[in-house]
Amino acid sequence: MRLLIVEDEDLLRAKLVKALEDGGYVVDSASNGKTGLYHGLEYDYDAAIIDLGLPQLDGISLIKTLRQRGRVYPILILTARDNWTDKVAGLDAGADDYVVKPFQIEEIRARLNALLRRAAGFAKPALDFGPLSLDTTARRLQVNGEAVELTAYEYKVLEYLMLHPGKVVSKSELTEHLYDQDHDRDSNVLEVFVRRLRQKLDPDESLKPIETIRGLGYRFNVSPSKR
Amino acid sequence: MSPPANDKLRYSLQTRLFLAFGVLLILFLGLAGLVLERAYQESVEAALRERLQLQIYALVGVAEPDGAAFYLPDTQEARFSQIDSGLYGFIVDAEGRERWRSPSALNLNLSLNLAEDDGAPQIPKVGKTLYGNLSLPGQGELIWASYGTYWEVQDQQFNFIVLESSAPTAAQIREFQSNLYLWFGALALFLLVAQLLLLRWGLRPLANLAEDVSAIESGERDELQGSYPVELVPVTRNLNLLIKRERERQQRYRGMLGDLAHSLKTPLAVLSAALQELRGGANLDGRQRHDMEEQLERMDQIVSYQLKRAVEVNRSRLLAKPVAVAPLLERIMSALNKVYRDKAMQTRVEAAATVQFFGEESDLMELCGNVLDNAFKYGASRVAVSAHQEGRTLCLTVEDDGPGIAPDKRGWVLERGARADTVRSGQGIGLAVVVELVSAYGGEIRIDESPLGGARFSIRLG
Repeated sequence: MRLLIVEDEDLLRAKLVKALEDGGYVVDSASNGKTGLYHGLEYDYDAAIIDLGLPQLDGISLIKTLRQRGRVYPILILTARDNWTDKVAGLDAGADDYVVKPFQIEEIRARLNALLRRAAGFAKPALDFGPLSLDTTARRLQVNGEAVELTAYEYKVLEYLMLHPGKVVSKSELTEHLYDQDHDRDSNVLEVFVRRLRQKLDPDESLKPIETIRGLGYRFNVSPSKR
Repeated sequence: MSPPANDKLRYSLQTRLFLAFGVLLILFLGLAGLVLERAYQESVEAALRERLQLQIYALVGVAEPDGAAFYLPDTQEARFSQIDSGLYGFIVDAEGRERWRSPSALNLNLSLNLAEDDGAPQIPKVGKTLYGNLSLPGQGELIWASYGTYWEVQDQQFNFIVLESSAPTAAQIREFQSNLYLWFGALALFLLVAQLLLLRWGLRPLANLAEDVSAIESGERDELQGSYPVELVPVTRNLNLLIKRERERQQRYRGMLGDLAHSLKTPLAVLSAALQELRGGANLDGRQRHDMEEQLERMDQIVSYQLKRAVEVNRSRLLAKPVAVAPLLERIMSALNKVYRDKAMQTRVEAAATVQFFGEESDLMELCGNVLDNAFKYGASRVAVSAHQEGRTLCLTVEDDGPGIAPDKRGWVLERGARADTVRSGQGIGLAVVVELVSAYGGEIRIDESPLGGARFSIRLG
């Protein structure tokens, strides 16, 4: 999951970046609205966290521009001015949720999780696909009701695929959303993760959840269970 | 002892000017009437005297002494010969003995006791004429002229006296009077009406100014527009400047408080995030961290609450523009629908397009945002808001289908709201802000049970 954080307060931005990277996200950050807009338009993010009080280009204008230019990823706004005029303006401009400063990192994580989940069309914290159930809050996988251990990268791959079910996800898209820009992107490593995931999700090869589309990428082929 | 002063102040400019000019007008017309009446009366009387004098000369011209009496063969004036005609002639000697009387005076019971001063004709010196008034029973008022002559043949003074009824003259004067007062009355009425109209016209710009100011007060207009007479231009210009300054000042003040909030909250956020990093670290045990987190949260709430209060206290509703309520409610509803998308709330907004709030838009936003946020938080599947207007009062109802608030807790909920600086950490300051705002606008807030099953907040503002 690749995130964009736009926050002008250096200390706070650094701590947010660190906390979210620790939580397994790939994080880009910008300290002003203009850089934020550049990143936001240039890369395909899974979600963005944008402070409303930004230098050079304020948060509301940034969000409006991103939406006008067709960027649909969920946006979480941070606001120090705890008033409804600002909150409603931000949500009106195209943001999806808000967090008022100061905040607990857990709250940011929870809101982000919910936003990512909702963006993929899931109303509940768990992503349910037949026998497979991924709890995005506790970051745990259950297969046929039994817990299955996943490594951090395996979890990331599975979560991304589950949030884009039925859609062909290229290897480059996957790496972009799983790794930092400066990370060594070896697609062989990705293939290893996918192979291991297949074994854990479908030991008897009856479900075949992850299909390889030759030359294009992967597709998650199980239909989500509706509530 | 100020009540008299207040009474004086109560008269409008128009009333003052009208009363002052009105009194002056009546006084002037009254005096002018008196003077005219007197002058007319005098001229009429003078004419009458002159006529009497001429009658006397005529009598003197035809009078022929006949022993002790006089003989006047032809008096020329027919009325002397006609009995009770109202014109009477006498000739008396120096002692007042009657020597002749005109046939018209045969019935006249006049004792010419000239010595007694009871208005009866007097005896003048030779060549002089005296005048006087006399009242006789059956004859009414008579005016007389008495002329003294010297007859050389008799070597004696004789006095010619002519009396004439003054009734026709009096009638003439009365008619003049009534005419005079009729015309003066009409003139006064006309002038008063004209004065009233002139005053209205002259004071119209002031009335316009008052209307414009009240239009600003009700928010229909931003500033004093239209052309005013030169005397008022400095006033309107300064008023406009004052209004503009005050609006700018309020805006600056809000901006300043917002910046203050931003610059206080961000360090708090940094501190809070730093504290998170220590989680699990050996330097700090759980209890210490918990204490610090709690204190940070309290600081945050106090900052929020006091800043909001500062904005609220510094409020001038006089200059506020009216806010259309329906679109504002729709905006909040759609914003909250995003935030609580997982709940998939059925929402309903009932507000006519004409419903307005006379106050700051941000205040209404704050108030509705907090109450509706509460409804979304506690409601199960439905939230409804309705607004209507009673005069300048805005009535809002917000309800949900949540668990509601028990009757014995309702007062407590609002009371806790009213003393939000004492709230424990974990409790929001939303309701506190609502209660504070409602009281700042002199409104009221009630909680009861909604037909939907949950809580219903009824708020009246202004």
